[in-house]
Amino acid sequence: MKKFKPLSLLIHLAMLTLAITWLYPFIWMVVVSFKDTAQIYTTALFDGRFSLDNYAFLFDNSARADKPFLRTLFNSMFIAITITASVTLTSTLVGYAVAKIQFRGKSAFKNLLIVQMVFPVFMFIIPQFVLMRELGLINSYGAMILPFMMSAWGIFMVSQSFKGTPNDYIYAAKLDHASLWGILRHVMMPLNKSILAIVALFTFSSAWDNFLWPLIVMREAEKMPFSVLLATFSKSYGVYLGPVMAGAVVQTLPVVILFILFRKYFLQGMSLSLK
Amino acid sequence: MASSWLGYSVLFWFYPFVWLAILSVTQWQFIGTPRFNGLYNFIGVMQDELFWKSMLNVLRFLLYYIPIVLVASLLFAAGLKRIKYGKGFIALSFLLANVSSGVAYSIVFSKLFSEYGPINEFLREWLGFAIPWFTNPDCAMLSIALIVTWKFVGYYGLILYSGMMAIPKDIYSAAILDKTGRFKQLYAITLPMMNAQIIMVLVLAITVAFGIFTEPYLITGGGPLNSTTTPMVVMYEAAFQNMKPSWAATMSIIVAACSFALIWILRRMFEKNIEIV
Repeated sequence: MKKFKPLSLLIHLAMLTLAITWLYPFIWMVVVSFKDTAQIYTTALFDGRFSLDNYAFLFDNSARADKPFLRTLFNSMFIAITITASVTLTSTLVGYAVAKIQFRGKSAFKNLLIVQMVFPVFMFIIPQFVLMRELGLINSYGAMILPFMMSAWGIFMVSQSFKGTPNDYIYAAKLDHASLWGILRHVMMPLNKSILAIVALFTFSSAWDNFLWPLIVMREAEKMPFSVLLATFSKSYGVYLGPVMAGAVVQTLPVVILFILFRKYFLQGMSLSLK
Repeated sequence: MASSWLGYSVLFWFYPFVWLAILSVTQWQFIGTPRFNGLYNFIGVMQDELFWKSMLNVLRFLLYYIPIVLVASLLFAAGLKRIKYGKGFIALSFLLANVSSGVAYSIVFSKLFSEYGPINEFLREWLGFAIPWFTNPDCAMLSIALIVTWKFVGYYGLILYSGMMAIPKDIYSAAILDKTGRFKQLYAITLPMMNAQIIMVLVLAITVAFGIFTEPYLITGGGPLNSTTTPMVVMYEAAFQNMKPSWAATMSIIVAACSFALIWILRRMFEKNIEIV
């Protein structure tokens, strides 16, 4: 294997360079968010004056009334956390039923799940908007949360993973008079951590990042999620490049933090051993 | 427990589904009762220039996106396979692009690639010309395809990587005994053995292509000259700005049918059942 050394070194260098290139937009975004707008295009990346002014401008409500960024940040947090908690919990419950409990029409139920996953999201946007209007939920948090409370994909992923857990554990727990919740909490959930982490992470990131749906169902800036306000702000005040970039950093940060915290489960769940 | 899901899907899946079906054969403007008009919507969509333009744009997008993303993620997988140190860091840097927020990176890229942005300044300084990434009708779709590639290479690459790792080593040993060249090994062993993963990546890519909205809406707004208008943008504008929900619903059915058809053709033509014995 010795003669391959130079080639291996070359591949290491190339892949590392590529990884940095892939990170470059993030690096640029973070660095620029600390600069004055006037200096962004005129100075080299690490030159110029760095300050927290952009962030202060973004979250300072007194200067202009139509940019309630702090409020929308809390909206986004609330919506994303509620949806994530709900999807994780319901996927665990229904996934357990699909994987481990016998009931009539089970195979039909499984087919239904797959059919629901196959249909693309964009087909449902207009009819779901009609439904939200009939329920009188337009311009309320309900419209942002209710359609995403449960997910066929989440149930499917969890049930696939639960199937791999041997039934003996469940029998043992039942012998110890464990309730259903006890079985889930102390047997199934710890044994299937990585799939639950993946379902939670993807749900959070798609709820956090959902753009089209809130754009349709929300009317007031006060109730919008951060992403939509940032996009409208960027469209109408694109000249405030510094604050826009600061907003992009805030929009990116939560998912990135979660991703880095859960990276172990994430790679496990993709059945990858990278080290 | 399963029945709770049934209840939920009746409300949020079957009921909208029925509405979708009703909307597609009626005329309705968000108020009053829908009025039946048969295939009128369908014909209307078919005769609409913007609809065909957007479908053509999806095809153009796929034309750029599929080869670029497939080659890039194959190279990524092959490179990752040979990496010994820092594998985790490299994989995570690429995956980070995949989980990052669509709104945020659309804004960042639109500034990075803007006329006087850092990328063009760099090109001007070193190569003496700049590229009109988003302002030239021929270029804009390619730029969007490149951004989407940036996003998905890590994810697709890891799918391909897991397929690549599953190929038994004996096959290569046998091939080397038969004095098979490197390229022959690639297209006679590696690629056919990864059929399942490659098909999966292609199916995912087609799904992405038909549902793309945030990037064109935020970066180019569908322009220049409608060269980046995707079906999603057309549907959004038709339903919520021009108040033609039934027209847009019909269009969504047609678009979905097209994407199913494309996936079906793809699987029919290229999918093989590979068994590792």
